[in-house]
Amino acid sequence: MKNLIIVIAFTFMLGGCAEQKILENISLTTLVGYELEDEGDLTSIAVIRQVNQDLESRVEIQSATAATSKWARTKIDLKTSKITGSGQLRVALFGENLAKEGLDHNLHILKMSAEISNATYLAIVEGDIKELLEYQYKNITDIGQHIYQLIQQNIEHHHALSSTLHEVNRDKYSLVKSYALPVIKKEEENIVISGMALFKDSKVVGQISADDTMFIMMIRERTHNGTLQLELPESTLDGITENPFDELAVAIDSIDSKPVLRLVDPSVPEFDLTIKMECRLREINTDIIVDDPETIKKLEKEINHKIESEIKQIIKYSQDVNSDIFNFGERFRARVRNVIVDKEKWYELYPQMKVNVKVESQIVRDGVFQ
Amino acid sequence: MFFGKKKNESRKKQTETLPPSSQNKETPVQANDQMKKNETISETTEIFIQDVKERVLSPADFVVRHVTEKISITFVDNLIKEDILNLKLLPALQNIENESPETIISQLPLPQINKTDKMTDCVDTMLTGAVVIHVEGHSCAILVIIPARESRGLTPPENESQVIGSQVGFNESLSTNISLVRRYIANPNLGNEKFKVGKQTNTALSVMYIKGIVAEQNVNTIRQRIEALDIQDIIDSAELSELIDDNKLSFFPQMLITERPDRFCDGLLSGKVGILVDGSSMAILCPYSFFEFFQSREDKNLRWPIATFLRLLRFVAILISIFLTPLYVGALTFHYEVIPQSLLVPLSESRARVPFPPILEALFLELIMELLREAGARLPTKIGQTIGIVGGIVLGTAAVQAGITSNILIIIVALCALSSFITPSYMMGNVIRIVRFPIIIMAGFWGFYGIMLAFCILLIHLLRLTSLGAPYMSPFYPPRIRSWGDSIIRFPYRFTVRKSATTRVDGAEFSSNQDGQKNDRNVEE
Amino acid sequence: MKNKLQIGTNEMFNAPLLFYIICASQVGVGVHGFQAVIYQNAKHDAWISIIISFLAAYLSVFMSLKLLKMYETEDIFGVNLDLFGKYIGNFINLLLVIYSSLAFFAIIRNYTDVINAWVFPELKPSFIMITLMILVLYAFTAGLRTIIGICFFSFFLGLWIPVALIIPLNYANVNYLLPVFSADLVELLKGAYYMTFTVAGFEVIHTLYPFIKEKEKAKKYVSLGLFFTMFLYLFVMIVTLTFFSGEQLERTIWATLSLFSNIRLPFLERIELITVCFWMIVILPNLCLYAWSAFRGMKRIANISEMKFILGMFSLIFIGSFFIETRSEIYEFNNKFGYTAFIIVLIYPMVLYLIAYIKKSVSRQRAGKE
Repeated sequence: MKNLIIVIAFTFMLGGCAEQKILENISLTTLVGYELEDEGDLTSIAVIRQVNQDLESRVEIQSATAATSKWARTKIDLKTSKITGSGQLRVALFGENLAKEGLDHNLHILKMSAEISNATYLAIVEGDIKELLEYQYKNITDIGQHIYQLIQQNIEHHHALSSTLHEVNRDKYSLVKSYALPVIKKEEENIVISGMALFKDSKVVGQISADDTMFIMMIRERTHNGTLQLELPESTLDGITENPFDELAVAIDSIDSKPVLRLVDPSVPEFDLTIKMECRLREINTDIIVDDPETIKKLEKEINHKIESEIKQIIKYSQDVNSDIFNFGERFRARVRNVIVDKEKWYELYPQMKVNVKVESQIVRDGVFQ
Repeated sequence: MFFGKKKNESRKKQTETLPPSSQNKETPVQANDQMKKNETISETTEIFIQDVKERVLSPADFVVRHVTEKISITFVDNLIKEDILNLKLLPALQNIENESPETIISQLPLPQINKTDKMTDCVDTMLTGAVVIHVEGHSCAILVIIPARESRGLTPPENESQVIGSQVGFNESLSTNISLVRRYIANPNLGNEKFKVGKQTNTALSVMYIKGIVAEQNVNTIRQRIEALDIQDIIDSAELSELIDDNKLSFFPQMLITERPDRFCDGLLSGKVGILVDGSSMAILCPYSFFEFFQSREDKNLRWPIATFLRLLRFVAILISIFLTPLYVGALTFHYEVIPQSLLVPLSESRARVPFPPILEALFLELIMELLREAGARLPTKIGQTIGIVGGIVLGTAAVQAGITSNILIIIVALCALSSFITPSYMMGNVIRIVRFPIIIMAGFWGFYGIMLAFCILLIHLLRLTSLGAPYMSPFYPPRIRSWGDSIIRFPYRFTVRKSATTRVDGAEFSSNQDGQKNDRNVEE
Repeated sequence: MKNKLQIGTNEMFNAPLLFYIICASQVGVGVHGFQAVIYQNAKHDAWISIIISFLAAYLSVFMSLKLLKMYETEDIFGVNLDLFGKYIGNFINLLLVIYSSLAFFAIIRNYTDVINAWVFPELKPSFIMITLMILVLYAFTAGLRTIIGICFFSFFLGLWIPVALIIPLNYANVNYLLPVFSADLVELLKGAYYMTFTVAGFEVIHTLYPFIKEKEKAKKYVSLGLFFTMFLYLFVMIVTLTFFSGEQLERTIWATLSLFSNIRLPFLERIELITVCFWMIVILPNLCLYAWSAFRGMKRIANISEMKFILGMFSLIFIGSFFIETRSEIYEFNNKFGYTAFIIVLIYPMVLYLIAYIKKSVSRQRAGKE
């Protein structure tokens, strides 16, 4: 019996050797950019972190064009001394042309590969993607890391919508087939998130500026942080102001906001959206004391109005481009029975949808100094 | 001859004072000789002394002294207490009136006196420290047992130190050790059975247990195994433990070796069988389960939250020690995707200069670590400390700067080495050291899959092991929930059970139903 | 009854261990990808299908226990011999042995496929199978005690997996579960049928029954085990349903593993790699129990030594693996095996119980007449 086991042991020793992917023998691709070329070819730009013997780690940018992204990767391998590995990929950028043509194919590629993690961030680039990546920035040494952290911290602080590969894929296959991706663009020496791009059927149909992102988040889900700047009419603090400006600007931080959505009338469809918000007053551009309850109440009333109107505008814009990034479609489907609600039907219904928005804010705190 | 021999055997009287189980197996040479020689003690002193001298092959320290006309004594010089011989025995013999064995026996002022009429008894007892008195005209000999016990004074145990607790350790003399044990357990139920093992050495062995707490079948098993031993010699008790183990081929020890009397007595009190070997300062305790090897006597001296923390720390340290280096090797060789972003740059920078793949690097460093450890154990104490520290630090830094290893791996290997020292049992600590190597090799070939394979093999192996019939993974498997309070954690005494799960066997007085009764608890409620 | 089983007390195990045995034997490879298959039929009411499937399982186990209780210390092979005589009984026993071997093969093949897809694409499947078989050999030759010990440890070591699955609940969208009960009964039953492959595993109790020390308590612990597993599967299914949108789930082959892909810890990413390798200890009890059951059956038919049997079984399975190599072939095999499992696990015990009951009442009547 012992002999048998030894024989078996030898068989499997010879039979299996796993392919080694030793860390320092791989060019780690931390960011990849895709852009559509004229003949339908895809350009892949890989931001590779190279580590060398003399302890100098550099970032190398390689690009190649081919009909499929895998062949482009092989072309890049022909240029680098170490084989590329996409296990550490964290951000995937798509160029403007590609966004206009449709992202379906690319998303599918990213999902099929077992190496690419589901938590990769996706974003659109406004302008030339090659220029954005290949420019020698003064303050940015590792552009892959930089863009990753840029997107991550903004998502954490609710200045951008979370657009991981998983979430985008989920929305792509869901009823509404609409999603939003952050848009980044190069502004001289900086890379800036300039807003969110709205997609319908994987093509880009509209864009919302970065200022309005917080409102989208408030409609979609509970938020725990995020800043809003609101310009309230001057008449708010009537009789109490000392320095009359045209408008009263306030900056509030949302501590806790919760949206409550109710389907009122399925035939229209009509929703009642109530947003309860607890916030704290960060800045107000007047020097008066705002502590007494009456002033607070006035401020809250105006804040409610302002937020409601902003939200209505955003919803209307999304209805105009017919991109339901708020997932009203899912809510609708979840509450009606025996009605087949599919993509086509919702595309018809969505522009007709009515939302009655009501915001109830409550200023909880306002700083340490009156 | 044949008939003669038969006659002798029928004349064999059990002279009572010899311990019943001291059966010695003679070596082939002696056995052959004795087949030729007679067992009887000749009546003539001359012939008797000649006989004895031949049997012990005339060593230089063999002394014969004719005390009176009829009485002669022989002994081996270095084995007996000179002062008792000179001050008590010789005067008593010289002043004796009636020179006959019975008078001698009744009048000698010494505690251990045996009478025998077999040559083998004479020779054997003489070699363990006895004076043989022969009276002319009687074919019997009187053995006066006055052995010299030269031994080291009681010192703190070398290999098992404790912060708080008694600081005395066993020494090499069996009787001192037994006296230490008896001091802790002044109980008439403390059983003590003597055996002799080893054909060439005839080493004395003492099996101790507490009747009523221990399971009879454990004692029987030990008795049977010792009696069935057929070996030439035994110098130290660790050898003995391997010879009477359940699974001799396994990596893992199934019996505990300890130098501390308090730990020994603790084991006896929780139902274990203890073995003390003459000439060895290590005592054996069995049966022991895997988790009990990680318990220290000190845990009972500390308060329970600290004890729980320390036990958990030990357990986590063992896991770290076994699996951290393989995880490093596996992650860097096959699964670089697992590394989080913040670690990526330091890791790859530290690896960039190293010319070897991670597995070779890891094995190289581990080997250096083992070399340092072994060398440090053999060096004389004056140089040992310095070499240890200097070797570790200097070698490590130099290796990093030369580009042979990476500094992260040095930290990992040092951490693993440190964690393997945390085991209270030296034997188990060694196992932890060795077990790591196959796992590193598996990780180097098949990544995390290899590590899981190795882990499963380890688990199955541990589940297969038994210690004296008791499952090795007690009290976790088979689950004895009442003993979970004293395994890798320690609950207050109210909630723990005194008798360990390993020793709870059907038939033992303490637990007629499997999960014990009130008598089991440490504190009367 | 001739050929009765004689089992000594020291070979028996305590009834509470049944809980761990049932839990360990039910959770195997099915849990990796059962969601997509059930979703195809029952849509977002797939969780109800799970409940139905477990009810059927419970009924089957209940009947099996009653059946075996009638015979006191027999396992199912003895029952077959008693009810159907020597030749047909042995034939049915042989079928059961083949079923156990097929189950073994199914588990090992599916796991090999998962490893190839997620961790080591180029590692030969035969290597993985050989190494797993060596493990099973090592455990099998150690006896029933060790196998149950493996079940015990596998249960506790695997407890972190459901805990880790709480993290994807961050992305949960409850609307994916609503409206409830929108699938009709036929679809739910179909979904429950497809769940059989995953729920099977508890049939090892047929061969384990004689070894239980306190047979009266067996029912209690088996029920607890089934209950626990049911909650486990429900939890996994609900997390999956709220995490993935409809069509996305249909396209995700191994939904549970993809769930792990989104968890990010400070010191580890890509937990799914670790989870897949860790799964070895989750399937090890299944493999050992099936091998052991097959051996017990074979022993009743023809007295054969342990080593010969196990090596014979392994060689047959190894040869069989050459016939099922591609993903689609594995899928086909899983379907066919699900069908077999459905009959043997759910229907067969009930039929046996009926036959035994009839036989007993007939013989009681006859004895009453005399």
